[in-house]
Amino acid sequence: MFVHVDPSNGLAIYDQIVRQVKFAVASDALRPGNLVPSVRELARDLTVNPNTVARAYRELQADNVLQALRGTGLEITPSAPKKCLADRAALIRGRLRSVLVEARQSGLPADEIRSLTEQELARLEPERDPS
Amino acid sequence: MTAAFSLQHVIKQYKNQMALYDVNCACEPGTVFALLGENGAGKTTAIKILLGLLDPDSGKSTVLGLDSRRDSLEIRRRVGYVPDQPALYDWMTVDEVGWFAGGFYPPGYQRHYNELVEHFELPPGRRMKELSKGMRAKVSLSVAMAHRPELLILDEPTSGLDAMVRREFLESMVDVAAQGRTVILASHQIAEVERVADIVAILRHGKLVLLEKLDDLKDRVCELTVTLRNGVPDLPKIPGTVLHRELKGRQWRLLVRNMDESQFDGFRIAENIRSVDVRRPTLEEIFVGYMKGEPVSETPHEVPAL
Repeated sequence: MFVHVDPSNGLAIYDQIVRQVKFAVASDALRPGNLVPSVRELARDLTVNPNTVARAYRELQADNVLQALRGTGLEITPSAPKKCLADRAALIRGRLRSVLVEARQSGLPADEIRSLTEQELARLEPERDPS
Repeated sequence: MTAAFSLQHVIKQYKNQMALYDVNCACEPGTVFALLGENGAGKTTAIKILLGLLDPDSGKSTVLGLDSRRDSLEIRRRVGYVPDQPALYDWMTVDEVGWFAGGFYPPGYQRHYNELVEHFELPPGRRMKELSKGMRAKVSLSVAMAHRPELLILDEPTSGLDAMVRREFLESMVDVAAQGRTVILASHQIAEVERVADIVAILRHGKLVLLEKLDDLKDRVCELTVTLRNGVPDLPKIPGTVLHRELKGRQWRLLVRNMDESQFDGFRIAENIRSVDVRRPTLEEIFVGYMKGEPVSETPHEVPAL
């Protein structure tokens, strides 16, 4: 798993780490039983504060994405993929909402937004399912 | 728990200029505490008062539970300090600096100093005057860290240094913090501060205008760009504390703290407002907002627990 942190992104760094671990699980880059790097290792890698990494891991544990493996570290839980897929959907909903707000503010009527969305979805379909 | 350091009602005046005005703050051990402010805002004065190198006109300061004024010597033994302009004897070699500094600290200092010199890939036999600026900074950092201090104080440690040296300094700070020790970092490199800080303090003309956990600060401050329908630049009441506002043509840019989400939708559809864009600002933008804006006096003086 590669984590990339952008400190000047408005999102708090711990939140960026949480999201990227969840995305990595949702996209099958991390699987149940895989270990994540230790707090110190990841902090050094990203040159971010170790407390920040620890906070991200605590949140992931509270969300049942990570669990402590005695003596070895933290691993992805068996239930993580389901949870992360749902979280990813929620994040995408949030982004979709902000695009819709922008569309409404620009004065587009709802019908036009719907048809734009349909068109864009239709353009994606053949790519996703070539058969 | 004993605070790693504290300033209590500290006032310091130079001739007729106020350097620190009633500054209050305290910090838990294991924290990376970033001190921001323009040149002359009082950062170095605050650090010198903590170390007992300078006496405040009034107020009290402590470091590791010791009184800065009374126990200055003991504090300097237990703290590592990297000043903005390291004072190193030009004629000493890298090795000799470690030997010389080791005389002030308990045994074991020199061994760890040598490990650091090796880690930073410094040439042991080279004299200070023959070292690059980056190398001298690394010598200064090694001197400050060789006794494994409980508190490491860095005053503008990386100004004028290249990206690789700055990175090494950051990595060292991360290591120190990972061992549960405390770091005070006074810096102008706000992007770096944003990576490593737990707590951000901003000094402006000697006053502490902000003292907050970085994560909370970023959660609480947002930037609004408001486009108005017509030429009258009147804004409805903003549902939050405005730190800074700026008008260009028919657009306002506002830095807002503690925005009330429940009232925001009403604001958004208010008469005369065409659109509102919300963005999360960077620490640098927040810093500039605090520097330019009217002083806001809602800053908590107690740092929340981590």
